[in-house]
Amino acid sequence: MEKTNIRTNKNFNKVSDIIESLTINTNPDSVAVLEEIGTNSSIDEVRELTSRALVKRNEHDSLQVVISNRGKGINDMSTIVAMSTINELLSLENKEEAMRVLENTISSEGFDEEVKENARSVKALMALS
Amino acid sequence: MSAIEKVNQLSHRIFNTSKNEQSTSRTSNPFAASNFQKNILTEDVFESSKSKEANKVNFTGNLSASSKRIYSVFVGSINDIGSRISSGIESIKAFGSRMKEGIVNTCVNTWNKIHEIGNKEESLNGTKELLGRDITTFFVNKREREISKMANMNPHMEVKSIFKDALQALEADMVQVA
Repeated sequence: MEKTNIRTNKNFNKVSDIIESLTINTNPDSVAVLEEIGTNSSIDEVRELTSRALVKRNEHDSLQVVISNRGKGINDMSTIVAMSTINELLSLENKEEAMRVLENTISSEGFDEEVKENARSVKALMALS
Repeated sequence: MSAIEKVNQLSHRIFNTSKNEQSTSRTSNPFAASNFQKNILTEDVFESSKSKEANKVNFTGNLSASSKRIYSVFVGSINDIGSRISSGIESIKAFGSRMKEGIVNTCVNTWNKIHEIGNKEESLNGTKELLGRDITTFFVNKREREISKMANMNPHMEVKSIFKDALQALEADMVQVA
């Protein structure tokens, strides 16, 4: 299905509204719901929206989901999802928390080399922006 | 003279007045009937109260009757000229107003037609804009209300199930399209 078609879908708009509500929801459990339901969706557009929502929250837990987890956020198999997440990170006004999470990911032993490499690239981009 | 003749003379004196008496009876002069050494005053030399009143409103001064007639004729002619001029002006005005009405009506009709077309276009555009704005505003407001309502819900207890249902419905739509 083309991207334009799914964005006019009634259920996609509903999913988009739910993700947006979880973005502004002050309850920290919103991150867990987004991670559990949104980032595991088979639909690229839903994963893209979820990753951007997690970045917008600009919290340690939400940023760790899109930076440090294999197959999610900047490490997503879909180039569109990964690039959208990186763009959202670069658009943040306050990048302190994102830089902290990136440094932790790069320096930590528990993460895959691929994840560390992506974190290093994004950190470089954010330092330049 | 017999008594019968005297009675006749008396009756004649009573019922048949003389010429002098007749002429003086029309005047206000009390001496008109009198004979001043056989010169009878036939003209009214006394000014009556009526004539005084008439003089009060007389603005022509000591004008003679002939002068008055001439002036009256002159004034009448002036009035006549004035009325002729005014009637001429009126006819010119009427002609002008007819011409004006004709031209104005033509122009006004054309102008009205142009305005009608313009108004139709404007009203169409206005309606279009109004409808577009209202519909968009309606949906945006509804969507914003929904989002703010869900943002106040418990993520695990309420939003999670709604999220799952919506995602399943979307996935079902995707499968149908594929």
